[in-house]
Amino acid sequence: MIEIIATTVSNRELAPGYRLLTLELNDDVRVRPGQFAMLKPRASLEPLLRRALAVYRVDGPRRLSFLYQVLGRGTQALAQLIHNGELEALLPLGNSWPIGRPGDQRAIVVAGGIGSASVLMLCEELSRSGVDTQVLLGAASEAAAIGCGLDDFRALGLPLTVTTDDGGLGEQGLVTAPLERHLREGLGAGATIYACGPWAMMRRVAEIAGHFDVPCQVSLEAPMGCGFGVCVGCVVAVNTSGLLDYGSYKRVCTDGSIFPAESIRWEVDAMTH
Amino acid sequence: MTNRANHDPRLAVKIAGIRFNNPVIGASGTFGYGLEFAELIDLNRLGGFATKGLSARPLPGNAPPRIVETHGGMLNAIGLQNIGARAFIEEKLPLLRAYDTRVIANVFGYSDADYMEAITILNDGDGIAAYELNISCPNVKEGGIVIGNSPVAAARLTEKTKRLSTRPLIVKLSPNVTDVALLARAIIEAGADCLSLINTIVGMSVDVNTRRPRLSYGTGGLSGPAIRPIAVRMVYEVASAVDVPLIGIGGIASSTDALEFIIAGATAIQIGTANYYDPTVTMKVIDGLSGYCESRRIQQISSLVRSIGAE
Repeated sequence: MIEIIATTVSNRELAPGYRLLTLELNDDVRVRPGQFAMLKPRASLEPLLRRALAVYRVDGPRRLSFLYQVLGRGTQALAQLIHNGELEALLPLGNSWPIGRPGDQRAIVVAGGIGSASVLMLCEELSRSGVDTQVLLGAASEAAAIGCGLDDFRALGLPLTVTTDDGGLGEQGLVTAPLERHLREGLGAGATIYACGPWAMMRRVAEIAGHFDVPCQVSLEAPMGCGFGVCVGCVVAVNTSGLLDYGSYKRVCTDGSIFPAESIRWEVDAMTH
Repeated sequence: MTNRANHDPRLAVKIAGIRFNNPVIGASGTFGYGLEFAELIDLNRLGGFATKGLSARPLPGNAPPRIVETHGGMLNAIGLQNIGARAFIEEKLPLLRAYDTRVIANVFGYSDADYMEAITILNDGDGIAAYELNISCPNVKEGGIVIGNSPVAAARLTEKTKRLSTRPLIVKLSPNVTDVALLARAIIEAGADCLSLINTIVGMSVDVNTRRPRLSYGTGGLSGPAIRPIAVRMVYEVASAVDVPLIGIGGIASSTDALEFIIAGATAIQIGTANYYDPTVTMKVIDGLSGYCESRRIQQISSLVRSIGAE
């Protein structure tokens, strides 16, 4: 974890409301798939807090990209960054996708919406490691799918299934439908499911994974104050032996952001605020 | 191995007999147990820090969402999630002893007995410079708010804990009162060695789509630059009412902010929310205070304390 100043190389709109921010850092960092950064434009006081963004892609020790959806004050401020615009950045943060464990023969990567930002590097790593990988991407529409990095996922050359809410591209419906189908067809044997997306999607993925008894890892998001464990604002409720106790809440930033799906109490939504 | 940093001797301050290398202290609840910052700043350069509030036993805290950003600040209702006093002295203090910084154990409870139990446990710990009583945390229904808002209850708790404590006692004041000077006087008469102020201001934010509070707890404590003028005013009022050293807290994010509090009456300052969005802010404030002393030929920063209106 280092605190650095980053410079904007580009901040390109991929589709309305979706942007790709590429940064040049003033120091070397080593980022593992699934890690994130806390970012905000340098010396700005509105908004006050930095925003947590997953590292989308690494292009060398000093060049990183972040794929993001412009949703609130924090991402609106990031969207204003122009070439050479400076940011304050704390990174790399959080744990990373657990890959390369013995017995990992197959992987099913499920991304919903901008959750795709957390899994491109994972897919690259799985592909490099020779793991038989299926990628399932769900988005609201074709434009949203493009905004969520569709072209980059296509370029990986891995088997890819796309779903859209409006049926404008790929299958119409939720991304959990092809997941269920794959598992019914037996693709879950020796596989791990990796998921990132809206809370309801991950909750459903966790249910399906549990039903088919396939290990599942999820990358969570929560409003964060600091990103390095001190504010204890970004917690998620986890399953404990019974009573509410000290271990009932885990920090998404430092205990995660990636958790085994079965450890999460899905009825307590950590992402809504 | 203990590392020593080069300290600017002009910045050294004394509070309740404790020497701080400089007046810059990390505020409770924003500085974890100190060790979280070891990768980011040189803890040996820091005047000190106050731990996350410690209770006699570990606590889970509130359900999420616990924080929400507002304009110029944030609301929090963490619910005092902490590892407990015993785990602090067993797991954190041994590591903290390697650093040349003052560790202030922030203590809270739901009753006088809870506070006394926590302090009894912490008295066994080696490497704690002082206690800071959190009597004003607005987040726990059964707790702080009642004690911190009542001069009688606050004085009673101060007296009981002071009698038990083997260390100087700092009491952290609630701003959610009509007359902060009255509260301050009652606590000092009960034996507190120092006051720190202010804790967060009770606030609320509503989601207009769901028509529910944005925090699961409902209300939360407002912190950040938005509250600074209120905090400076309260430090000024308390400095005029009591004769003990004060630690100023409230939205400090720069050395200029820190100097406002010092000039208004604070001997030292705590930095809170700014640690979240600028994790090296404490180091910048120390450097800025040195620069101020240099440019104004000030020999001791303590000479500025309560210098408001003076030539």
